Amino acid sequence: MNKLVQNEMLKLIAKKRLVVIALIIGVLVILFTYAQYKQVQTQREKLGTSDWRTILQQQIVDTTNRLSSSRISDEWKKQLQISLQQQQYYLDHDINPAEPGAPTFMRIFLENSIDLFIPLMVMVIASDLVSSEHSLGTVKLLLTRPVNRWKVLLSKYITLCLAISLIIAITGFLSYAISGVVFGYKGFGAPILTGFHVTDEGLNTSDVKLLSLWKFLLMDLGLVWFVAIVVGTLSFMLSVLIRSTAAGMGVMLAALISGAILSNMVSSWESAKYFFMVNLRLTDYMKGNAPPIEGMNLSFSMSVLLVWWAAALLVSFMVFTKKDVY
Amino acid sequence: MVRSITIIAVFFCLLWLVGLGWAVGDYYAGKPEKVVHEADVSTEAENKQGLTIVALGDSLTRGTGDETGKGYVGVLVDEIKEKSKKSVQLTNLGINGQRSDQLKKQIQQKEVGRQLQKADVVLVTIGGNDLFRSGEGLMDFQTEDIAAIEKKYLSNLKFIFEQIRKNNKQANVFFVGLYNPFIELDQGKEMSKVIRHWNYDSAEVSAEFPKIVFVPTFDLFELKVNDYLYSDKFHPNTKGYRLIAERVASLLTW
Repeated sequence: MNKLVQNEMLKLIAKKRLVVIALIIGVLVILFTYAQYKQVQTQREKLGTSDWRTILQQQIVDTTNRLSSSRISDEWKKQLQISLQQQQYYLDHDINPAEPGAPTFMRIFLENSIDLFIPLMVMVIASDLVSSEHSLGTVKLLLTRPVNRWKVLLSKYITLCLAISLIIAITGFLSYAISGVVFGYKGFGAPILTGFHVTDEGLNTSDVKLLSLWKFLLMDLGLVWFVAIVVGTLSFMLSVLIRSTAAGMGVMLAALISGAILSNMVSSWESAKYFFMVNLRLTDYMKGNAPPIEGMNLSFSMSVLLVWWAAALLVSFMVFTKKDVY
Repeated sequence: MVRSITIIAVFFCLLWLVGLGWAVGDYYAGKPEKVVHEADVSTEAENKQGLTIVALGDSLTRGTGDETGKGYVGVLVDEIKEKSKKSVQLTNLGINGQRSDQLKKQIQQKEVGRQLQKADVVLVTIGGNDLFRSGEGLMDFQTEDIAAIEKKYLSNLKFIFEQIRKNNKQANVFFVGLYNPFIELDQGKEMSKVIRHWNYDSAEVSAEFPKIVFVPTFDLFELKVNDYLYSDKFHPNTKGYRLIAERVASLLTW
């Protein structure tokens, strides 16, 4: 088994996929760092200050004014109210919700890339892990060895999990290293609030607790990893089912993008919460944002994702062990 | 090479698993901790440069109805910048539809108090929504209700001024009075009477405090009111806001 995994890792590294992914992440982080820097600058010019309390107070007043507009939908209103209460809580307790520095940039980057960007990067590896062996014809060489088929597939799957772990590590490292050049490397000890619970009446702040940012980041990374594994497993399944890599990627892409669109408009279609793609934003629960559909919480989303994961894994192994290869 | 990468990957795999477990555990089993207020670092003096203006109040402060989005506050700030060549830091805390009791609550917030402490100039508009109650005031302006409403408003106003003075003894406060947007309607004359009375009492309250100046706007809108009103026939338009801003600007000293 160990040898098989080593063998798969060798193939993966020889393909230089990880290097390509690291490059893509690097370029994007540079872009976002610059955008963020520009944003901070214009804000400073506009308000004439860089005092975060003044900026936050101004944001609160702006949100309040948006709430008083009669043209916004009820769901949007509720989300605004929740973020308003959160901002007020931060302000009342004298905690900066976005302490400047690379760790905060890393947090925001992770939170925003969990539902689309990281899954996309994972797909780059996962979607052709099996199907490329078909298209290159090397699958025959692999299967003529005196090894069980499920072992061959398992070694591929373990490699995928390892690669995903590496991708998350690369993302974390690059977003910290690159943004630190502009924002400074300090701030891992900054406090951040978690434990906001969204209820029917609004935001429940009775369970709120203070965490150091590094702890919060480790949790975020764990959640991002979990999402990446689930998405990776699904693309892995497609890679087993569909011989063409492009088709598998297309299906997965469509699912992911529809998820991003759906979570903006499904609030009235309740059964949509059983789709895996509207459950990807796990980090939002840590932050206490309103979920896209009422009644969703961390354990719900994780169970949904786990069911999809288990089903995908089962299908992959069943199909791969029974499939005729010619 | 391959071996070491594999080992690193396994390490990260375990690390992320720990993170995941921690996140779930903390989300459900983590004990709520009392979030303690940090010591008042907030009052530290900032290196101030230029003028700090804090604007409080209702939609007039927000600038509702101004197509340029500035409102009288924005126009005023532009004017100060141009004339004094100083940088101006503006904090606009105006909220659409705010009544005096809501402003009373808002002004007691810690951060609002801190903003007031830094201010050189405080601009206030309030009372319009107390009196007009989004159009309802049109119907029953003659009844005795108005007296009760005004009484409550005046005590709120007094409280607001006390809060401002408590936080900041130096700043000049400009309290912008009401105009009559309904002056050309059928009962405009009677309405004007109520508003004049309202303004008079507001000016009296302002006079009790040092450096709180009541700025009348009634006369600005007395003739040709429709030229200066936005299409909702209630808020000023760009020209109307300019009038108010010019009046306040003429009172400013620097």
